[in-house]
Amino acid sequence: MQLRRALGLMPLALLLIAWEVAVQLKVYPPVLLPAPEKVALVFVNDTATVLDHALSSVARVLVGIGLSFIVAVPLGLMIGRYRLLDMLTDWSIQIFRSVPPISLIPLAILFLGIGDKPAIALIFLSGLWPLLINTIFGVRGIERTLIKVARAARAGEFLVMKDIILPASLPAIFTGLRLAVGAGWLTVVTAEMIAVKSGLGYMILNAQLTFRSDLIFAGIIVIGAIGLLADQLVRIARGRVCRWQEGLTATNE
Amino acid sequence: MNRFIECVGVGKIYPGKTGPVEALRGIDFICEAGSFVCLLGRSGCGKSTLLQLMAGLEKPSSGQIAVAGRELDGPSPEAAIVFQDHGLFPWMTVQKNVEFNMKARGVPAGQRRDRARKFIDMTGLTGFGDRYPHELSGGMRQRVGIARALTTDPKALLMDEPFGALDAQTRGRLQDELLQIWETQRTTVLFVTHSIDEALLLADRILVFTPRPGKIAADIKVDLPRPRTQQSDDFTALARELRGLIGAERDFD
Repeated sequence: MQLRRALGLMPLALLLIAWEVAVQLKVYPPVLLPAPEKVALVFVNDTATVLDHALSSVARVLVGIGLSFIVAVPLGLMIGRYRLLDMLTDWSIQIFRSVPPISLIPLAILFLGIGDKPAIALIFLSGLWPLLINTIFGVRGIERTLIKVARAARAGEFLVMKDIILPASLPAIFTGLRLAVGAGWLTVVTAEMIAVKSGLGYMILNAQLTFRSDLIFAGIIVIGAIGLLADQLVRIARGRVCRWQEGLTATNE
Repeated sequence: MNRFIECVGVGKIYPGKTGPVEALRGIDFICEAGSFVCLLGRSGCGKSTLLQLMAGLEKPSSGQIAVAGRELDGPSPEAAIVFQDHGLFPWMTVQKNVEFNMKARGVPAGQRRDRARKFIDMTGLTGFGDRYPHELSGGMRQRVGIARALTTDPKALLMDEPFGALDAQTRGRLQDELLQIWETQRTTVLFVTHSIDEALLLADRILVFTPRPGKIAADIKVDLPRPRTQQSDDFTALARELRGLIGAERDFD
């Protein structure tokens, strides 16, 4: 674990050194490329600004991905279970998931106006497809014998869904959630550069207009750090919920 | 005599990639209540297919099957199945796995718990109720499968090569325990195996299957006194006869 942390931090430390060297060598004037210590000062002097914007972004992703979870998981369980639903939806899913949510920003603004609504709608869409596809994949991967056991026991459809299909699909659902959170986080920053007046995306864009390159760098660092944190949280949750999987898979994360 | 399972002219044809495959043809057989019948044959001779049909998990292409006097339309409540790959739910503890068949029938939680404990004790799993399947040995997993099957007081146990994946010692022990259960519970047992010795150690009656298409080549009554051993002359004589019938060069155990 310690080795893992040391190795994980090494490239980041190297990057920091390279940054400092570039500043010292004056590759770019300080207005464009601020020194690391100047960026660090942002977290002291502008704590409230950074925190406010970060919270707005996080809240949007939570709501958007929460909505995709509520829609995608039950839908995916049904599509995975019922052949007819699969035939009905397969092509549509493949078409719509190929459309980058960012490309829908103009439409989102036309239909939903400016503000949280279009941003959340886009985050919802970017999380929907990975969650949906992974849930379906999870249902498909169920051992056939287990379904036979349920049929032989004459278990009702609701019990089969709740006690067999859902738990069997959970590892895949968590994989989907990891991808969805990542995609949602990418989308929120972009959407905030266009549709709303708060959030890290807005903060960065605004900082560019006011020549606060230190704030831009600070924003990027926060975006990356929250992305890492969110991913770790989903991984920990997965480990808790899918404890029964320990020893079944070859690689332990 | 009490006819428990009746097959009349049962055939099964699967649609294959290179044309239909006839898995079973013209199966006529009556199984008396309380008897121990082995379905013996090489792999691909249709013996497992017949078990699936009698379990109500698949429909015959021709002919009729009746269990306990009623024509089959889906799994019968009178029969329980034990699968070769045990069919345990990896996300449920031993206790929950054993409870499942009762849960499917709407048995109240408290009653379920007590009854599951009784069968956990009976199959020698005392103290393992809180373990997950992956923490158990192959033999113990199959014990869980048997315990689960017994909880609903089935009149028949349908067993599909239940001990096929176990080492010789464990297999021997489970065979003895199964015979004990059979004698105390007075259940009918239909037991699929490819092992001549296993069939001779267990069965009152052996149905010998031959492949392409699967059919019953011989119906042999086994009168050897119990408990049986492989060492008696009668045993070896019968084994030789069976070897000739299934057309094997040697017992592939």
